[in-house]
Amino acid sequence: MDDATLRLERVAFEVAGRRLLDGVGGTMWPGEQVALVGANGAGKTTLLRAVAGLLPTTTGVLSATGLDPRTASPADSARRRVYAPQHPDCAWNPTVAELGELAAQPAAWLHWSERLALTDLAARPLATLSGGERKAAHLALSFATLTEPYGALLLLDEPTAALDRRRQEIVHQAVRAFAQAGATVLVATHDADWATAFPRVLALEEGRVIADGPPATVFNADLVRAIWGGPAA
Amino acid sequence: MRLGRGALVGGLALLLLLSAGALACGSSGLGFGEGGGLAWLRLPRVLAALAAGGALGIGGATQQGLFRNPLADPGLTGVFGGALLGLALLLGFAPAFAWGHAWALPAAAFGGALGVSSLLVVIGRDGPPHRLLLTGLGLNAFAAAGTLLIANLAPESRELLLNGSFGDWLGMASPELIVRPALLCLIAGGLLWTLARPLDLLALGEEAAQAAGCDLRRLRRRAILLTALAAAAATCLVGQMAFVGLLAPHLARALFGPRHRWVLPVSALLGATLLLLADTAGRAAIPGTPLSAAAVMALLGAPLFIWIARRSHG
Repeated sequence: MDDATLRLERVAFEVAGRRLLDGVGGTMWPGEQVALVGANGAGKTTLLRAVAGLLPTTTGVLSATGLDPRTASPADSARRRVYAPQHPDCAWNPTVAELGELAAQPAAWLHWSERLALTDLAARPLATLSGGERKAAHLALSFATLTEPYGALLLLDEPTAALDRRRQEIVHQAVRAFAQAGATVLVATHDADWATAFPRVLALEEGRVIADGPPATVFNADLVRAIWGGPAA
Repeated sequence: MRLGRGALVGGLALLLLLSAGALACGSSGLGFGEGGGLAWLRLPRVLAALAAGGALGIGGATQQGLFRNPLADPGLTGVFGGALLGLALLLGFAPAFAWGHAWALPAAAFGGALGVSSLLVVIGRDGPPHRLLLTGLGLNAFAAAGTLLIANLAPESRELLLNGSFGDWLGMASPELIVRPALLCLIAGGLLWTLARPLDLLALGEEAAQAAGCDLRRLRRRAILLTALAAAAATCLVGQMAFVGLLAPHLARALFGPRHRWVLPVSALLGATLLLLADTAGRAAIPGTPLSAAAVMALLGAPLFIWIARRSHG
């Protein structure tokens, strides 16, 4: 028994004969902020989905908040883990406020909707919002779900994609605040500037971990070229 | 502007008034008859319309929520057709058993509805919305053909089954015939209401719902079982009835917003109101020429269905 929030050993996932994750390993602790980087198709989203328990045929050792997400009930898994997908969706075109009603704690929703500048949009149906505003509304819902951060796991897939600079900064602050409160935050991102600001970076290539450590050691010229097609900013 | 609890209470009061109107309304004109005799005669029919309409409304809302598809309706996706086929099998091949055992007819309808629901999930669940609808239409046509075949093979049940396939059973409502199906409508409706929270989460998509703690397999199992039960019970009361389960949830969402804690009960209320109005209009609009509730609903529902279909693909 240990206090790790996330433990991965030889994690593999295959679909239609293609290995999307291949022997991924790593341990993450309460309060850690980890950037997950890699080129398109490297396996970032697949890894987040596997950790969220959405890929039950994943093999290897997988423990998230003390549970095996492949076998734990969705309700038990969701108690200490929040997953925000890259392309959130919602049927029936609710208003922003109606989306917020799905949050377990109305006060937490009010807090995050205010911080992400959604208060004035509360009565607007999601279909009338811009892509960035919609993404912000879904992020506010995800953040409002994480009411007890210590020992919890926050999985964010490209959370700042499509957001304006102001909202991006709020998300950066939120990630730091959740980590300071004891949550483990794993963020898949293509934002080079933001990734270099994380204390720890996990780099994936073709489903394998090719580097894991502080950004200064992970981001060598080859890796930067492979992911962003040029030297780091 | 969304409506709230006050409007729901107002809607219930309106439904009570409409029910009183339906008790007074008949092909012989307005009135309750001497000592309320006519009203007592009409009461089973009115109660059957209310129970079946409520079950159809909440069943349609559940099916739309489950498939995240605004065109889903147990009447169009073949679930009622399956229920009627179940009834036809029993009435056609074992009529003595059907009429000799109180629960035999609801059980046969439930078996048929559950069979079609399960096939619908297996064949039409994944993929674009039209696949579900096309699968349902195919299953509906198959079930209708099966019912027709049995009706031709079993002359003693022929008229009954043909009336059922035209949604024209409300006219034969009697206390003995309606009590069990109406009770099942209430039970199914009450249990379906408990699915509001997981259906709300499912609106976020299957993966997001599961990540948020929704047990999809359990939700699917319960929703399919209970929708089949609601459809079976409603079919025993009215026969095959399309469009109530399509229209009621659309109106509910337009008035009260998309949260299922509102959509489910309001769809039940609106379904009951629609079917009651359709039945009352059908028997009173043209004196001496009664029209089945299903025909009235189709006249109203078909244009709306086309409008919804165009909107959902636009």
